[in-house]
Amino acid sequence: MSAEYSRDNQANDPPLATQTLEEALTTHSDTETEVDVDEPTQQLVLFRLNGQRFALPGRAVSEILPSDQPIYYVPGLPASTEGVLHLRGKIESVISLHQLLGLASPEGTANGMILLVNGAGLRSGVRIEQLDDVCNVTQSMLQPPPETLSSTLRPYVSALWQIDEGQALALLDPETLFGAYQQGLG
Amino acid sequence: MPLHHHDSDQQTTAHVALVIFQVAQYWVALEARYVLAMTDQPQGLLKANAQTLLHADAPPHEQLPPDRWLTLNNRQRNDLTSTWQLGVNGDITLRQLPVTTMHPLPPLLQARRFTPALCGVAFDQHQLVLLLDARKLSP
Repeated sequence: MSAEYSRDNQANDPPLATQTLEEALTTHSDTETEVDVDEPTQQLVLFRLNGQRFALPGRAVSEILPSDQPIYYVPGLPASTEGVLHLRGKIESVISLHQLLGLASPEGTANGMILLVNGAGLRSGVRIEQLDDVCNVTQSMLQPPPETLSSTLRPYVSALWQIDEGQALALLDPETLFGAYQQGLG
Repeated sequence: MPLHHHDSDQQTTAHVALVIFQVAQYWVALEARYVLAMTDQPQGLLKANAQTLLHADAPPHEQLPPDRWLTLNNRQRNDLTSTWQLGVNGDITLRQLPVTTMHPLPPLLQARRFTPALCGVAFDQHQLVLLLDARKLSP
């Protein structure tokens, strides 16, 4: 066995771009996605409304309820109110945020999950269409909402997370959401 | 609502006497002590249909005219001798429901309700019953 590396079989191959071992390891390392464990993180519950991506702070979401949770319709309330649910002996309201956020309401029967959300000193179920994930993100990944954000959304968005070039996610503020709903908006 | 306490365990035996009736597809209850009488025909000038007061819209084929009239005090007039009648359709029952089945309306719904009389909900055999405060109803 020869200790010398044979180059005979590469004689006709096109020249290869060469890298040092250090460069190669740097290229394939995960340094770009490494999370500084000392940097504060925030838990987010990621979901979709009308196909758009939103999140709520994990600390504000006390429970995620399945789509088959029975909802009892209560008459004499705005269309954005779905009704009430009976959960372990307690009654919780269930609302839809579509109108408040300027989104078109989904057609047909509501069939997404329900987030039990705390904010503005009260608690309510919030209907979502799709639960995407529950994850921790570093504070530095959350950017202030841009000036270009629609005026309808702006009051309720505390930060924006640019997931990639094509996708951004709006972090909603449960305090202002419920405060506005209580005052008759949405 | 006042509670009728029995001698034994207060927590398990406290009940409220309710007059329960149907409005469109919903079960609705008034505290019995505020219902003065029930008649088959309206007897006074002041009357209102429960379906209208509750904003309980129903498809036209399900809208039935009242066939029973509940007599209530007219609190708007500060005159306890003044009464009015609430029109409902269908059976009316007097029931004692345990307080453990009754819940105030959640705060967000309380803030947005169209009818101030809508004050809570109860669950009677897995059926939702809308609780109305008779003192806040008026023709």
